[in-house]
Amino acid sequence: MEKVHTTCIYCGCGCGLILHVEDGRVMGASPSPLHPMSRGRLCIKGWLAGEFVNHPDRLRHPLVRDGERFVRATWEEALSFTAASLKAIGQEFGADGVGVLTSAKGTNEENYLLMKLARAGLKTNNVDHVARLCHAPTVAALSYAFGSGAMTDSISSLARSDAILIVGSNTTEQHPLVASYILQARANGAKLIVVDPRKTQLAKLADLHLRPRPGTDIAWINALLHVIIRESLHDKEFIDARTDGFEAVRQAVSSCTPDWAGAISGIEKGDLEKAARIFGSAEKGAVVYAMGITQHTVGTDNVQALANLVLATGNIGREGTGLCPLRGHQNVQGACDMGALPDLYCGYQKVQLSRQRFEQAWGTELPDRPGLTALEMLSAAEEGKLRGLFIVGENPMMSYPDSGRVRKALDCLEFLAVCDIFPTETTELADVILPAASFAEKDGTFTSTERRIQRIRRALDPPGEARPEIEIASDLLQRLGVPADYASAAEVMEEISTLSAQYGGVHYDRLGVNGLQWPCPSRNHPGTGTLHAESFPIGRARFRAVEHREPHEMADGEYPLTLSTGRSLYHFHTGTMTRRTSLLDREVPTPVVDISPEDAKLLQIRGGQTVIVETRRGSIRLEARVTDSMPKGNIFVPIHFCEAPANALTAQTLDPQSKIPEYKVSAARIRRA
Amino acid sequence: MRAFLPGDRLKSLLTALGTHMDVVAPQLVEGAVVFASWKGQEIALQENSLLPPLEFLLPQRDVLFRYTQDSGRYSFVEPSAKFRLIFGIRSCDLCAVAALDKIFGSAPADHPYFDKRRSTVLVALNCTRPGENCFCSSSGSGPECQDLFDLLLTEIRDGYLAETGSPAGIMILKEHPDLFLDAQESHLAEKRDVLRNANSALPVREERSAANVRVAMEKADWDALGLQCLNCGSCTFVCPVCHCFSIFDAGVPDGERLRCRDTCLLSGFSRMAGGANPRISQGERLHNWYLDKFEYIPQKTGLAGCVGCGRCSRVCLAQMDRWSLEVGR
Amino acid sequence: MSQYIPVPVEIVDIDIESPNTYLITLEVPEEVHFSYKPGQFVMVSVFGLGECPISITSSPTRKALQLCIRRAGRITNGIMDSRVGDVLGMRGPFGNGFPLEQMQKNILIAGGGSGFATLRSLVNYIVDRRSAFGDVAVAYGARTARDLYFMQEYEGWQKAGIDVGITVDIGDESWKGNVGLVTGLLDKLRLSKGSAAICGPPIMINSVADKLMEKGFARCDIYVSMERHMKCGVGKCEHCMIGPHHACQDGPVFSYDKVKSVL
Repeated sequence: MEKVHTTCIYCGCGCGLILHVEDGRVMGASPSPLHPMSRGRLCIKGWLAGEFVNHPDRLRHPLVRDGERFVRATWEEALSFTAASLKAIGQEFGADGVGVLTSAKGTNEENYLLMKLARAGLKTNNVDHVARLCHAPTVAALSYAFGSGAMTDSISSLARSDAILIVGSNTTEQHPLVASYILQARANGAKLIVVDPRKTQLAKLADLHLRPRPGTDIAWINALLHVIIRESLHDKEFIDARTDGFEAVRQAVSSCTPDWAGAISGIEKGDLEKAARIFGSAEKGAVVYAMGITQHTVGTDNVQALANLVLATGNIGREGTGLCPLRGHQNVQGACDMGALPDLYCGYQKVQLSRQRFEQAWGTELPDRPGLTALEMLSAAEEGKLRGLFIVGENPMMSYPDSGRVRKALDCLEFLAVCDIFPTETTELADVILPAASFAEKDGTFTSTERRIQRIRRALDPPGEARPEIEIASDLLQRLGVPADYASAAEVMEEISTLSAQYGGVHYDRLGVNGLQWPCPSRNHPGTGTLHAESFPIGRARFRAVEHREPHEMADGEYPLTLSTGRSLYHFHTGTMTRRTSLLDREVPTPVVDISPEDAKLLQIRGGQTVIVETRRGSIRLEARVTDSMPKGNIFVPIHFCEAPANALTAQTLDPQSKIPEYKVSAARIRRA
Repeated sequence: MRAFLPGDRLKSLLTALGTHMDVVAPQLVEGAVVFASWKGQEIALQENSLLPPLEFLLPQRDVLFRYTQDSGRYSFVEPSAKFRLIFGIRSCDLCAVAALDKIFGSAPADHPYFDKRRSTVLVALNCTRPGENCFCSSSGSGPECQDLFDLLLTEIRDGYLAETGSPAGIMILKEHPDLFLDAQESHLAEKRDVLRNANSALPVREERSAANVRVAMEKADWDALGLQCLNCGSCTFVCPVCHCFSIFDAGVPDGERLRCRDTCLLSGFSRMAGGANPRISQGERLHNWYLDKFEYIPQKTGLAGCVGCGRCSRVCLAQMDRWSLEVGR
Repeated sequence: MSQYIPVPVEIVDIDIESPNTYLITLEVPEEVHFSYKPGQFVMVSVFGLGECPISITSSPTRKALQLCIRRAGRITNGIMDSRVGDVLGMRGPFGNGFPLEQMQKNILIAGGGSGFATLRSLVNYIVDRRSAFGDVAVAYGARTARDLYFMQEYEGWQKAGIDVGITVDIGDESWKGNVGLVTGLLDKLRLSKGSAAICGPPIMINSVADKLMEKGFARCDIYVSMERHMKCGVGKCEHCMIGPHHACQDGPVFSYDKVKSVL
């Protein structure tokens, strides 16, 4: 048996993982004792991370559509067909007639090559990935506020906080290692304030649990600021020395009293004041947040509100403080860092401003205007403007909102190529299916939510003819006339390090168990744990006043309940990996909708009954679970189950700034089946 | 039988043994000591591994049999165990093997376990450098190996004192006469010294004795503890005595029936068809884990259900105090 | 050969007992010596889906080996989707069965819902060995008349001198019999002090046991067939533990005093 050190495939915590390989199969996994963050620990998904790798459903051969079925093709056939089709569409409809959706589950090297494929190969900036659906507001807001859109501290620094505000994050289920550090802080006396409409496990352990009406976060955050300023708990020194724009915010929140915020959000005035005092008087305060903050039409403003809060209290740039967006996928941070975004190259360099630099580096002309975001690409497909799409390691049919509309859009395409490890609802619609290597079958790097760039290592061969995506991307690049002769993933990283300041010092010979946290601008630089200690990338951080706006689709007479969608500890996203893992599947085999006891009584629904949940987009059938963790008027549907897809219900209403859809608030109704 | 193995001949011995079986030895992977197939790497004996070598007797995932279907009829093929040698297993883990031998040996004896057990040679290592979390002496399971080894090595000056514990161990000495030297009285004396030092180096951890843990179990607020548990299963997966498993099929119409390590800390472990669950709260499940180790296994086997390796506390995501069972805050 | 390798068994008959329950008859290969006691169970495989424990509902005194399958999850759904001629896997028999040597001559059998499938094995055994037993009564209740199993056999049991009481929780126009709880039947049956065998939901077990003890049954003479999640059937996987006991080996039949605390 061989044991290979790698990084876990599931979430943004980025735990060290040792895979156990016997006779060419992954037969187990164990934690990495010396890993700087995970320190010999794993959550249940991590322990089982290798199981899906050898599942019989793995895609093994390239497939090409023949009417209603798929037939086996050679790589030569599949790749030449893909390149030719995309090229032809580009020639006929313009370069922006095609797009690439990369994978937040893919490596940095793959993401880099795929965005290079889009830009240098297909001459389009239509490249995006699922950060659009989760932390696009973080990137947008914090690029503005700090100059950098990533978690400002290391995960372990949370253990040294005095007060932690956890908003819109079911941390014990989504990021168990982060929760472990939060609980450590708690054991050391830190105060926890959990803000979540649901009574999560962390909420039960918190000192204070605030339950706002979904979509009213700016109101209560502004009210916290109001109280903090009123009671002179703000850090005047820090504000003066390191920020701009405080006055505008002070003005704006002067009317955001706890009474006012209470009326909007439903949070008790006394609790708001208590929270403000706890956070405001903490020596080291940290804010941890996730989808409950970002997945709103005001997601970008929500994040800015939190940025205002940490800036006003001087809680940034020191251990135990900071603003901590918890990234979902294990490499969505990396995918953003690599510029798999329509308006940014790798290193967060704007497409309009840095084009020449990349034209020089890549030796070819590049498109000059920012491209379309993921959902905009689908709209463009509906309108006939986008006709070809290459989707890698993503399942938009399940993960994008309003799946009925997603289906329509994908059906409009002239050509769809999908690269994945398993057949999915999206590969079903493809013209070409390319089988990919899983994380256990290729070399590369992932970047975790704490900006830690870490190795994954090839522990066994991919099944059948499946290939690592850097090989697929390199091949397509070459077919499109762009040189891409990389001997290894390490070589790709060498190229990345010349083009991205944050990754400047990242070389494979430096990537041991500690990895490297960016920014790491040069070979001798040790990497950076805490950001913004001395200054911000933009010099001084920026406050921006933000105003409460109601969610787009509120509950009404016809659809009287507010629906939120989200995740479970035992499953990951569209369930393609976890539902093929025995214990995880055993724990949660079927979907349930969570409903409050009061609503259940009103609607005469018993736990265990089959119910139908409906919104204006569609309906799903699943089992009801009555739980007092749900507040009255709200229901919760998990996103992992294709037989009851949550996104049949959600809408494509977007935050105008970051284009993230409002997954967290839809108007719904529920009845017995 | 006894002999002395000079330190610089250890690798030669393992190489020679490796010609007819898979030699598993502790080695470093990114700085961590792990048991894996030995291919000439540096052997890492500075501390015990985080995952016990019991995984070679009870794997995390194991194929029970393969099924193939032909015109509605099934045939089954059972894999046979590999010949293996586990080098460097320590006293705590050997005591766990003793417990598993008893548990899996109760009628009907578990065939997959004993197939592996019979095909595995155990070359044990007396623990001369106990770890921070270890409390084997308080559990009566170390640091000195008493039993169950085929060959026992104790690290002394310039090499290892080798003592046989079974015919298989004697064979090892007899088949490699060029590698071993005669054991002297001085070697034995050194062994005694080294073990005495190890014993005194072990922190006296009375609170971690089974008796004290049982007292803590009586007083524990299981509901509060359950509220902190993060359902990671780590304590189970690193415990050398834990052996719960589940059985799953993969593949239709042909495929494999697999036995996978399971943990009673998960809700689905005891959940019945229809949804009823006799251990419905996390606190009850945690309590059951402790009861099994500190009451049921001793009652049934006469052996300890906890061997004092301390691994569970190293890996607990909630950082629970696994012995006093006190809820911090 | 490993005890985990099942014996292939062919489905030779399927009878519909209720909307979600089938009575299947299995043929065991001749070379396999399969004998069992009432109250034992087997692990049934649907290859590709897995294995689950099912009580044997037939009596060993009769030729046909029968199981009662109710839709409850993936594996039972898989069995229910099978047809006559299909091959399943089977391991066993497992469990201790009813302790006939310890039980008294007078026997009361009380079943609630699908739990009655286990008890039918004992009922038919008694019918076939009637002279070995004394006063025997059966009290069986289901949710509605459609959920009652083995309706065609009640008359035969009466004819064999067993006092049979049947009840439903919710009556309808077609049901002319008793409506109410199983405990209510105990007042109407000819009950003689002796041993009892109970299987059903915990609430039912407790209330029946209480009533029986009021009527003079000794606690140690009341036996319960316990349901637990099971995987190996041989006391190794630890899923089925009830305190220190394995339901698959020390049970599934336990005396009431042993399991009262977990009901």
